[in-house]
Amino acid sequence: MIKQPAITEYLEIALRGASLRQATIANNIANLNTPNYRRVAVEFEKHLAEAIADGRQIDLDEIPMDILRPQNTPVDSLGNDVNLEMEVGEMIKNNAMYKTYMRLLGKVYRKMELAIQGP
Amino acid sequence: MSVNGISNPNPIDIAVSGLRAETSRMNVIAGNIANSNTTRTPSGGPYRRQEVILSAIGEGIGGVTVEEIAADILTEFKRVHQPGHPDADNDGYVMMPNVDLPVEMINMITASRAYQANAAVLKRYEEMINVAIELLR
Repeated sequence: MIKQPAITEYLEIALRGASLRQATIANNIANLNTPNYRRVAVEFEKHLAEAIADGRQIDLDEIPMDILRPQNTPVDSLGNDVNLEMEVGEMIKNNAMYKTYMRLLGKVYRKMELAIQGP
Repeated sequence: MSVNGISNPNPIDIAVSGLRAETSRMNVIAGNIANSNTTRTPSGGPYRRQEVILSAIGEGIGGVTVEEIAADILTEFKRVHQPGHPDADNDGYVMMPNVDLPVEMINMITASRAYQANAAVLKRYEEMINVAIELLR
């Protein structure tokens, strides 16, 4: 019998991924005018989805959280490819995901609380 | 997750592509206004006003991208009588850029209004997502 991670563990790692992405977005915006800076992005959900689709035992700590630098975005005269509008858009999407995970985690804990307290 | 060449766009990516397009238009308008009296350019002759050409990303819904920034070759240069100008011809006329300030001002208003509209879409869609998230309470 394969033991799969609990929902709380999935949510926890998803929150970790969203936090890391928030940090990279902050880093990108902080380097808006840094010469030759290329924006960083987090690739994590893809690896998690692959691990789940694999069907084997999932070790959530082994899921890589890659920080990569996409090289396909156009650079400005400073050699910098950070675009403020784009980062803001990514931040809005990331915030929504973070909030969703948090709410779901809260729901799971409330269920546990209910079970502990009894009727 | 990327804005360019995305196959399944969401309103956030589309609104961001709109913001970027209008920023690009604003850039070009700023350049046109700054060079409205420039008589010399690296390629010779007076400054030619630039125009942003936008194109839709993919067929159907998919945001906007800057196709190219092209020179306005249809509007003629203005011929101004200014005999003291070093760039004046033998008759005392100087060829001035084909930049029309009122036209640029109108374009600036439309660019900034369109930017605001895209920002409004972004904000309103964020609020919509939050409504859905609040259902999880």
